[in-house]
Amino acid sequence: MAASSSAANSQSPALKTYFKTPEGRYKLLYEKSHPAAVPHHSHGRTVSQLTVAYLKEKPPNQNSAAPSTSSSSGGVRSAAARLLGAGNGSRALSFVGGNGASRGVSGSSRIGGPAGASAGSSCSQITANYDGKGTYLIFNAADTLFISDLNSHDKDPIKSIHFSNSNPVCHAFDPEAKDGHDLLIGLHSGDVYLVSLRQQLQDPGRKLVASQHFNKEGVINNSRCTCLAWVPERDGTFVAGHADGNLYVYEKSKDGTADCSFPVIKDPTQFTVAHVKSSKSNPIARWHICQGSINSISFSTVGTYLATVGRDGYLRVFDFSKEQLIFGGKSYYGALLCCAWSPDGKYLLTGGEDDLVQVWSMEERKTVAWGEGHNSWVSGVAFDSYWSAPNSDESGESVMYRFGSVGQDTQLLLWDLVMDEIVVPLRYHPPGGSPTYSSGSHSAHWENNNIIPAGTLQPSPSMRDVPKLSPVVAHRVHVEPLSGLSITNESVVTICREGHIKIWVRPGHGESNRSNSSSDLAVSSSAVSKDRVVTSSLSSSSIKGSSSSSKQHSTVLFS
Amino acid sequence: MVMGAAGSKLEKALGDQFPEGERYFGLENFGNTCYCNSVLQALYFCVPFREQLLEYYANNKNMGDAEENLLTCLADLFTQISSQKKKTGVIAPKRFVQRVKKQNEIFRSYMHQDAHEFLNFLLNELVDILEKESNATKTSPEASSSKKLANSPNHNLPNGTHKEPRVTWVHTTFQGILTNETRCLRCETVTARDETFFDLSLDIEQNTSITSCLKNFSSTETLNAEDKFFCDKCCSLQEAQKRMKIKKPPNILVIHLKRFKYIEQLGRYKKLLYRVVFPLELKLSNTISNADSEYSLFAVVIHVGGGPNHGHYVSIVKSHNHWLFFDDENVEMIDESAVQTFFGSAQEYSSNTDHGYILFYESTGGRS
Ligand SMILES: [Zn+2]
Repeated sequence: MAASSSAANSQSPALKTYFKTPEGRYKLLYEKSHPAAVPHHSHGRTVSQLTVAYLKEKPPNQNSAAPSTSSSSGGVRSAAARLLGAGNGSRALSFVGGNGASRGVSGSSRIGGPAGASAGSSCSQITANYDGKGTYLIFNAADTLFISDLNSHDKDPIKSIHFSNSNPVCHAFDPEAKDGHDLLIGLHSGDVYLVSLRQQLQDPGRKLVASQHFNKEGVINNSRCTCLAWVPERDGTFVAGHADGNLYVYEKSKDGTADCSFPVIKDPTQFTVAHVKSSKSNPIARWHICQGSINSISFSTVGTYLATVGRDGYLRVFDFSKEQLIFGGKSYYGALLCCAWSPDGKYLLTGGEDDLVQVWSMEERKTVAWGEGHNSWVSGVAFDSYWSAPNSDESGESVMYRFGSVGQDTQLLLWDLVMDEIVVPLRYHPPGGSPTYSSGSHSAHWENNNIIPAGTLQPSPSMRDVPKLSPVVAHRVHVEPLSGLSITNESVVTICREGHIKIWVRPGHGESNRSNSSSDLAVSSSAVSKDRVVTSSLSSSSIKGSSSSSKQHSTVLFS
Repeated sequence: MVMGAAGSKLEKALGDQFPEGERYFGLENFGNTCYCNSVLQALYFCVPFREQLLEYYANNKNMGDAEENLLTCLADLFTQISSQKKKTGVIAPKRFVQRVKKQNEIFRSYMHQDAHEFLNFLLNELVDILEKESNATKTSPEASSSKKLANSPNHNLPNGTHKEPRVTWVHTTFQGILTNETRCLRCETVTARDETFFDLSLDIEQNTSITSCLKNFSSTETLNAEDKFFCDKCCSLQEAQKRMKIKKPPNILVIHLKRFKYIEQLGRYKKLLYRVVFPLELKLSNTISNADSEYSLFAVVIHVGGGPNHGHYVSIVKSHNHWLFFDDENVEMIDESAVQTFFGSAQEYSSNTDHGYILFYESTGGRS
């Protein structure tokens, strides 16, 4: 009585070292990995996550004295030592802001998310020599945290930091940290460490040095620390999300050891914020967000909004300083695993266990499109904030976004999202009148054009009611399921669960390592915009108030 | 006793969260009967099935020396578990296993058996017995009222067909209907044929999800070359397009992953170790009505081992929001996050051989 499907294909062809996009070829530039001898999973299996850290080099004239880091046991290679500068007093070293591209990052490899505001300006800061860029990849595998130089062709990490008590699971980097204490590391045990990346690179040992320790031995929360993020524009404030649905706000200037307790959570289904009484202790607040794990967090570019996704399948967007829920919405089904903001803060991406990439509109407070193309769970999403829409002048005010996603299907997908007010909004045609949705009626909240009331959680829409996107590119990039991606101004960086990293350089960048990144896009753009199914969304108010007025937007979608 | 110790450990782990009236009992292994034990645990924690079986037992226990069959043995076993004084422990499903072996010679040997085959055999046997009883009731109206259970009016199919096949509570629990639509590419005529199912057997691919496997299951397939379709209108073999859609989603959705595949070059079966992820929540969108029917995972039968002819079966089960691990006599509480350790292996060769094999999802009603 069992119904049976017909046989389908199987075996994997060899992985290609490039993929084609409308604007040209992305090529595999470097691979990064770690020593295979990783101890057994004594603290449970942990998935590798990726953080891109832009550690600005201090002025070249201070760069001459070579540090004495020759110990090979520490895994520090001379290439690393050269560019680190001398001395251990890292606080005295200059930290020029960085290009902002990793700011507010969720530490859990959903790097590309709030990709900083400086998409335009960042290119000019980059020098031609890779040593000068100071761009590092921080990733975890089993009980070790690894640091690689993004721009060197060395496959091995330049530094490995071993954790003896619990596995590192997430990390976040603050390029703006004034005191140089910029790298956060969250552990399976719930502990959180704050260190200076530069100091770690300078130290020859395999241990974390000069760290600040928060939630020591899980004293405040002993569930896994699942995600970390610095709050943009708020120097020294960071948040840590945990597997039990709690999120803590810390200020690094405050002591982490002072006694600090929070009231018992009475109703775990309710969002509550509790503050500590003492002004000295850390963390300073606990947000109880949801039942089950918080899987990923992301701050909008200037830190106004905090997005969280979790085991319960909901995306939640909070006004961070007001500590208020703005809106929330559910996946099609299953947990959400990752989230990321568009650089302008108007859109959000989520990915999860329904194999979908969801695009959410801040203005409309709901899903505006579902990206179909992954054959398994979506583990990483990121907007490409360095990508400029080709031929944007042609259609006047059209805005186009490029974003990427990676999944446990080992694929990297790239997507285009077009906002174009010329297009008539088909979604609001009467039922039957729409070529896209000729069958069935629309569910209520798609028909009415009202803004969803603040602070409410929306149920998942029906499959037939949500416009669908198709990817521009689908490329199998690894043999293992992927766990994250980051999009830098020169490349797309992908990481798999086992901690192998691939760097895919943008068209036109090649191996030259040249820094001109501005205008080699825009190749065959017109081909992209043809043959699309068109839908749109009307919005009458703007949440941020500033940039977007009450214009009518519409979404052009691929069929 | 070893069992007592294990039981108390589980009780300690659950503490005052031990669900009222619930029993967590391991099942003794009588020599390679783990295929049976793992399926029995999944069925025991399939609440609608258990409740109806216990009700059946309650209605039939006064019949005294009624003939023993697989249904009475199973009802007896479930009742025995649910009426235990202790909350945890071990039970020997001896009578049930003996009955299985008596009934079907395949399961008589001490060889490794296929849990999916066993589940199929068991459900079909139960249906046969219930249908026979129901027929007997019809022919003799004055028969004991208890037997009417199988025939009660609320157990009819929603789209009741005219032929009115017997519908038992096994059907109402597990049965779904698929429509096989075939479109002749010459005359465009669409032929739809319904078929019922107790489970969906899905082909699997490396590093995919159940969602993706279901999508492939319902994807359009072209019948051509050797495999043409006989079109009644054209009265000849024609090229055609075929696709499977779900006409009636079942209450309990059982998904069987086809991990044991016959490899022609090898001339034998091989276990596919593929990593196939399955979410705790699932929706079926390949339905005819286009309505999304929503499901929640409550049990997984897991095959442990590298090959098809040996190995071990265990199961994980969700009961009152706790996940439990059943390995024959042994019962342990596990964290929900441990479910993902049974997805499979992302690479061809792996030390991890614990793979989700049969998934049990229950409908959560939400049909938007
Ligand atoms: Zn025909």
